[in-house]
Amino acid sequence: MTEVLLLGRRAVREVVRYPEATIPTLFIPLFFLVVNIGQVSKTFPSTTPFLRGQGYVAFQLPVSLMFAVATATSGLALVTEIDLGYFDKLLVAPIRRSSLILGRLTADLTRGIAASGLVLVVGIALGARIQSGVLGALLIVLLSACFGVAYAGFGILVALRTRNVQATQSSFLLFFPLLFLTPNFVPFDRLSPLMETLARINPISYVIVGLRSLVINGWDAGEIAVCVGVIIGLGIILTGLSLRTIATYDR
Amino acid sequence: MQTLSSTNGRPPAIQARALRRTFKGGIEAVRDIDLTIAQGEVFGFLGPNGAGKTTTVRMLCTLLPPTAGAATVAGLDVVSDGAEVRRRIGVALQEIGLDPAQSGRELLELQCGLYGITGRRGRDRAQELLELVGLTEAAERRTKTYSGGMKRRLDLASALVHSPEVLFLDEPTTGLDPASRVTIWDEVRRINSGGATVFLTTQYLEEADKLCDRVAIIDGGRIVAEGTPAKLKAGMGHDVVSLSLDGADPGVTESALAELPGLQRVVRQPEALALYVQDGAGSVAEIVRRLDRAQIQVDAITVSRPSLDDVFLKATGRRLEGKQAADEQPEEVSA
Repeated sequence: MTEVLLLGRRAVREVVRYPEATIPTLFIPLFFLVVNIGQVSKTFPSTTPFLRGQGYVAFQLPVSLMFAVATATSGLALVTEIDLGYFDKLLVAPIRRSSLILGRLTADLTRGIAASGLVLVVGIALGARIQSGVLGALLIVLLSACFGVAYAGFGILVALRTRNVQATQSSFLLFFPLLFLTPNFVPFDRLSPLMETLARINPISYVIVGLRSLVINGWDAGEIAVCVGVIIGLGIILTGLSLRTIATYDR
Repeated sequence: MQTLSSTNGRPPAIQARALRRTFKGGIEAVRDIDLTIAQGEVFGFLGPNGAGKTTTVRMLCTLLPPTAGAATVAGLDVVSDGAEVRRRIGVALQEIGLDPAQSGRELLELQCGLYGITGRRGRDRAQELLELVGLTEAAERRTKTYSGGMKRRLDLASALVHSPEVLFLDEPTTGLDPASRVTIWDEVRRINSGGATVFLTTQYLEEADKLCDRVAIIDGGRIVAEGTPAKLKAGMGHDVVSLSLDGADPGVTESALAELPGLQRVVRQPEALALYVQDGAGSVAEIVRRLDRAQIQVDAITVSRPSLDDVFLKATGRRLEGKQAADEQPEEVSA
């Protein structure tokens, strides 16, 4: 556990010291939030049934939260470390290899909390009201950050498998179709049949729906449970694959 | 090749038997090498780029599994007891493994923590090592601002946090200026005097000669010579008489000395001839006589014992230093 904390502290320090790696990941979600609201707020006024009296910002906020936390930052940091040779130095230390990944994920959790907290504050400043209250807002931040941790496993997996900076950087592009094949602009029932089918089989949809329910509906145990389940499932699969990959790295 | 050295009744610090590593595509980086390195030795692994030095080190450090064969480090099998081996060894690899986002002090404190030296003990140890490698003034700076020599010294310090029994140094002075190189040598001697076994790979003959108790020459993945530098050089059975030609024709000079008693071979070098003779000092008078007779003037005549480069030449058919960089082969003429 000590080694995870030590490596986590180092990874957090890295995030703080290289703000240029984090700022773009915040710019994109905030940009999308503002632009999307500006473009469709007249199309979807607060009288729109699925908005339940709120502005469109409340509907879009979870999408921006996802954007803010789903990054390949850890994967990139790892592949850079492999490139520089520091990864070998860590591999030859008498520590569990899993701690190298868990340390990185600690930084993802920290970064996720900070990034989703900021996006949430901006969303509230733009008019979103969190129907589930302060506790709900905290849960939104926590769930978003946990999703960021779960998704980080993908970048780490690509980094370990390819050991290539470009490939790891490109892995982030996969998130775009995953994010847009969801009820990101309108609910499931307002999508075309094909898009609805695709959105319903996309697990990311249920994370958005769960977070959105906390913003618009209040406490909906069913939606939240599914959201938590998807995040845990993704985390287990992606982190599990990363842990297995690092265990057999060069072996 | 079976090589055994005296281990004074103690288990060897490093032992390898028929160690082999084949990479994808059938590239045989290391081919069935045998090594026995006694505790407390400074062992040099000498060879050009691509000879198999780093692959061997990576196998012995548990970073790379052997394709075949077996190896023990500190008496522990590198495959089945990898975790315990890692506790006993310190490693400074060829690629300097530093985190550019951390300061020198942070890096050493983290390294201490990873070896279970935490809190006050870790901070004290980091400070001690910073002083040892002369980096106290730069301790708070991020390592990305360090010069090559500073990085190498910090990397070495990070390999020492837990006072390892066996220290692996993979080309620790490559790319360093002469002053930094000497600093690293002093540090290696100091570490060794504390009882640690040092396994050092190098491309530098002088480094192997000055630092190592024994050396093995590796070429094409095979060990082609092994022994103490003195023994390897003595095994050459000749001295080297170098003639600085001062414009004299190398071919004519060579012909003039062709029948020199005890001459084993002649190697042409830029502006010089190297004569391999059984008794260097005893041959000088005869060399001068023969050159005089042929009316050939030379700039200088120097007699030296064979160098490790000569050993390398004999073992591999080419020189390691100087000409290797320019990918030149010495023109060798049998006497």
